[in-house]
Amino acid sequence: MRDSILLLQAGLTDHHFVIWAERTIQPTDAKPRALGVKPRQHPFAATSDELTAALTLALASSNQNTSVRSELSTVWLPTVQNTPVPSSPLIGEPTIGTPTLRSWSVAACVFDANRVLDLLAGQANNPTFAPGIGLGITLRYWAAALPFATALTAKEQFLPDVVQRDQKWYAQWTPTITGADVTRLDQFAKAMPAGCRAIGEQQPTRPARAVLLDFLAFIVNAIARGPEPLPARLQFDGVHDSWLHNLRTKSGEMRGDATEIAQLAAQIRTWRQPLTTQSAAPFRLCLRLEEPITDVPESQEWHVRYLLQSRDDPSLQIPATDVWTGTAKSVTKLDPKPLLLAGLGQAGNLNADIEASLKTAAPIGFTTTTDGAFRFLNESAWLLEQAGFGVLLPSWWTGHNTKQRLAVSAHVKSPSMSGSGLSLEDLVQFEWKIAIGDADLTLAELKALAKLKAPLVQVRGQWVQVNADDIRTAIELMKTKQNKATARDVMKLALGMASEQTKLPSRGVTATGWVDQFLKQLTSNSSYTELAPPKDLNANLRPYQLRGYSWLAFLRQWGLGACLADDMGLGKTLQTLALLLRDRDAGITKPALLVCPMSVVGNWAREAAKFTPTLSILIHHGPKRVKTKASLKTAANKQAIVITSYGLLVRDRELFEPMTWSGVILDEAQMVKNPNTKMSQTARALTSDYRIALTGTPVENHVGDLWALSQFINPVFLGTQSAFREQFFVPIQHHQDDAATAQLKKLTGPFLLRRLKTDPTVISDLPAKIETTEFCTLTKEQGSLYAAVVNELEDALLGVEGIQRKGLVLGALSKLKQVCNHPAQFLGDRSAIPKRSGKLARLTELLEEVRSTGEKALIFTQFTEMGDILQRHLQETFGEEVLFLHGGTARTKRDTMVTRFQAADGPALFLLSLKAGGTGLNLTAATHVFHFDRWWNPAVETQATDRAFRIGQTRTVQVHAFVCAGTLEEKINEMLARKRDVAARVVGTGESWLTEMNNDQLRDLLKLRPDAVEE
Amino acid sequence: MWHEYFPKLRPQKVAGGIKSQSKSGDIGKTWWAKRWVAVLEGFDIASRLTRGRAYARSGQVLNIDIESGKVTAKVQGSRPSPYAVSIEVRRLAAKDWDKLITELNTQAVFAAKLLAGEMPPDIESVFERTGLSLFPKSLVEMTTDCSCPDWSNPCKHVAAVYYLIGEEFDRDPFLLFRIRGIDRETLSARLSAPSTAEVTPTVAEPVDKPEALPTDPSQFWATPALPANGYGEVRIPPVSAAGPKRLGGFPFWRGTQRFLDVMTTHYADASRHGLTAYDTADTVENPERRVS
Repeated sequence: MRDSILLLQAGLTDHHFVIWAERTIQPTDAKPRALGVKPRQHPFAATSDELTAALTLALASSNQNTSVRSELSTVWLPTVQNTPVPSSPLIGEPTIGTPTLRSWSVAACVFDANRVLDLLAGQANNPTFAPGIGLGITLRYWAAALPFATALTAKEQFLPDVVQRDQKWYAQWTPTITGADVTRLDQFAKAMPAGCRAIGEQQPTRPARAVLLDFLAFIVNAIARGPEPLPARLQFDGVHDSWLHNLRTKSGEMRGDATEIAQLAAQIRTWRQPLTTQSAAPFRLCLRLEEPITDVPESQEWHVRYLLQSRDDPSLQIPATDVWTGTAKSVTKLDPKPLLLAGLGQAGNLNADIEASLKTAAPIGFTTTTDGAFRFLNESAWLLEQAGFGVLLPSWWTGHNTKQRLAVSAHVKSPSMSGSGLSLEDLVQFEWKIAIGDADLTLAELKALAKLKAPLVQVRGQWVQVNADDIRTAIELMKTKQNKATARDVMKLALGMASEQTKLPSRGVTATGWVDQFLKQLTSNSSYTELAPPKDLNANLRPYQLRGYSWLAFLRQWGLGACLADDMGLGKTLQTLALLLRDRDAGITKPALLVCPMSVVGNWAREAAKFTPTLSILIHHGPKRVKTKASLKTAANKQAIVITSYGLLVRDRELFEPMTWSGVILDEAQMVKNPNTKMSQTARALTSDYRIALTGTPVENHVGDLWALSQFINPVFLGTQSAFREQFFVPIQHHQDDAATAQLKKLTGPFLLRRLKTDPTVISDLPAKIETTEFCTLTKEQGSLYAAVVNELEDALLGVEGIQRKGLVLGALSKLKQVCNHPAQFLGDRSAIPKRSGKLARLTELLEEVRSTGEKALIFTQFTEMGDILQRHLQETFGEEVLFLHGGTARTKRDTMVTRFQAADGPALFLLSLKAGGTGLNLTAATHVFHFDRWWNPAVETQATDRAFRIGQTRTVQVHAFVCAGTLEEKINEMLARKRDVAARVVGTGESWLTEMNNDQLRDLLKLRPDAVEE
Repeated sequence: MWHEYFPKLRPQKVAGGIKSQSKSGDIGKTWWAKRWVAVLEGFDIASRLTRGRAYARSGQVLNIDIESGKVTAKVQGSRPSPYAVSIEVRRLAAKDWDKLITELNTQAVFAAKLLAGEMPPDIESVFERTGLSLFPKSLVEMTTDCSCPDWSNPCKHVAAVYYLIGEEFDRDPFLLFRIRGIDRETLSARLSAPSTAEVTPTVAEPVDKPEALPTDPSQFWATPALPANGYGEVRIPPVSAAGPKRLGGFPFWRGTQRFLDVMTTHYADASRHGLTAYDTADTVENPERRVS
């Protein structure tokens, strides 16, 4: 068992990526003695064994060869009173005093670049590799800088080189930093934590920018060698052969005549000079295209003007005129003429007009026709930009979404059908309409455009691009009057998907009748019919919940899938149950299948029993669940809802697959975000009339996840994975294409509903406090411990009376509570934490959701020992500091904790023991309050809850009370709920009332229901 | 006796010599390299030209040193020790250069092209207008010599060196000016800054100023905000190895494989691997790019 957290740190020195780790300071750690000459052993660095074990585990996720060796390394750290200052409160409290910079000896692993790629790819926002193994700030920095290096490689921003290290020569690929990457390099260099360059025998002084360049070279060089390097070779015909070969070997080391290699290195420097000069120059040639001033087509002249543009400040642009007259020199400091001239010389090769303009002594630009302007926009601009020149184009051209093109819209004449029986598979008739910008074009206008043969035309004063093929297609479309398509295809067109028939961008659909109504409802979330809540619903739907329910019903009616992604606490469960009830009311007899994580199966069952008592439920879970296709069919068809867990969905998929469900609902649908897992495949293979995904995490921010989710809710709607990648993922992720982003939003928007608690339309509907009971299941271990305590009590109670009996009962109650909390608390043995408590699993899930939306939470427990366990577990899981305030916390420390928690960038999770944290604290930064175990005294809990709910709280606070289902916790919870008023009176004194029960009543109270324990 | 055997002797094999990057046909791709070669081919030494080209291609030339007005080289022939070759070209006088530069500065294209590493197309006409010539016009302007026993001058060794110089002009036209007596720096400075006597400062790569580690723990362990603007547009370039191609190959390449061929394939592969690695690494959620 690991008692402490490791924070992995890394520094780069002389082409060595050195990883070491800090470990949580233990009270038993030896105090370092007086300073010596040599670096002394770092008092709380991970040992060689700890470090190699952690790195092996961290690498295991990338399925690489994970054998790791360690050595000793020296790291320079601020030191106070002979102790290095820890990087994070997770490691320990900093000692107060005057700091000095000292060297410390640490166990370290040296990684090559490929290993670094394996370790850090995609980890920039990940706080931990595994529980208890966190990424320190230096490692997080390297993980964030990694895509910079891989992007440089992809863009071919590197040149072959020869460098000398440790008296040896190496053939190497060195990155070249140009254009926007220069600014990026400076920004990343500024953001580098000092720890990234703190490794070295001597006190390191290499500046951040240089170290970053080293890192980029380190990575670029490794990727550019390829996954299968050439074997090392000793004999070459000459130094050039050796160089070329070693650029592709693993080590790159060049042996041979050192003088000759040094000459080669010098030669390479000269050779690279033109590119390095250009990329290092503070100014670059920039070309600006200006529109004609006049509207008269015959006299329209476009101008391309030459400027020098500052790299540091792209808005600083100097006209060529100023360069030639010499007035620019005051701005540029150095003579700008050679820069402008060299730039123009190179640019001339890419564009004949530029070349021609150089016939004068002081060229400032050139004029061109509309055709020439189009060629410049379409061809030269891109070439010039690629070559590293600045290009400024009119705003109507740049940005793909504003680039106006010929577009089609469909005008639908609906069939005269109405009422029920409408389906998206119905055929509808339509005509095409063609438009440019905001203007609809007639056939005659199109033909006139075709005759013009100009690629750029002015429509109502606005320049737009037209292309001959587009015009031809458009004319053909206008000519065909009788087009037929399914309503589903029309819907896709309306959502902006390019028609397969036309290949022209779609500008939507106009329609009449039901198609019009359907499309309007689909594309604007507000105009669909708001339904009345189902009559048997045992709850009041808040206005936004009614909207959500109506939205679900609308999509369900058309057989379209929906993803309801409301914030936690807004009642996704209730809205879904209302829909299921409506289905039943409409006479649908097929059952719906609800799949959720094991930890919330019980919650769903209880919420359904509470809100929709008329809906019968089958919980497919536990050892007594049905085991055959036939028996599931018989059992399920009698019910309205079948609830199961993701685990059992996969395990019993042969039972589920032959069924026809009315609907399939996935709760916590982020579980299927990886489309290739068995879980996702099984979920997609289920047959149903409609599908719903529920999630509280912001899925819409992750483009890849969105595809996987759509695959479940509306299969094939976003196309194949590779088509999606090409159309959306690459443009959005690689090219930052706003048009693709907007298009994807338009396509998925109608099927995705996410309301935040802070939305103005929601917040007015919300109470200040939302209270939910979180029902949790016991693990098998908890179940058997629970049974053992109960049995022991029953035996002990025989023939015992009075005070002695009272003591036994109270003792047993306390033990049972501990079992429900965590076996480790009950056993008091500091044993392993994860996967042994249903409550802890649920808490972790909920906190993950809280953290994913950047909110803060208070967690109350009445046991200090449980607080310790929770703190350890949560810190290891989230890799961030978790505050813990208990009876033993000193007053001053309390105040610091509160101040830190209230600060926006302070810790986000705050554990409090109920007694210590019950009063006097103002913790309004929290929007979630968790009661991990129960005091059975509502007044005490309310008092605790009010810490987050004091004056100054402007947001809704969500209160989660944890209860282990099927245990005494649930029974007492029910009793308290049944008679709240009585409870306050009877229970007010604590738990002693429980001891007044007779043996039979007690047995009934403590008895463990069989479904309380997980499968 | 030796001259009877001489034509049958084969040159000794050389490893690591300078090899022409052209596999067959003419050597020299640019017009100015062709013009240079044309001067040599104006001599009546037909069969020696063919053998000179073969020498240039097979790497018999061990090294070439270009100075102002003079080129020296070592060429491996059939004898064990290489021959010494020299080619001397008459340098232009200072007043000639003054005239030329005044003329060159009437059009930006001359300075622009030279500074961009190219020979301006009309440059010969400028020389002509001033009554001068960029390329050596006749034997009067050029002296060649070789330590080989061949009675012909230019011999095939001179031809081989001459061809390789031509190829080098493809890459760096300033070499031609250097042979004619003016170096790159002086010429650039005088072309682009005719109004002042000041020499253009060349932009040096930034020198690394030492940067001490902070001693203050809150500074040392601070977490500065990372740039929020992502990693820019990432695309595989349409033309592979654009960098080395823009630099025009490698000077006096002596490798077995052709430099740009290897670069073209290798860059394309590297770029692909880079994009794969980028896709794995860049799962960073960029708040600017939210779909919602």
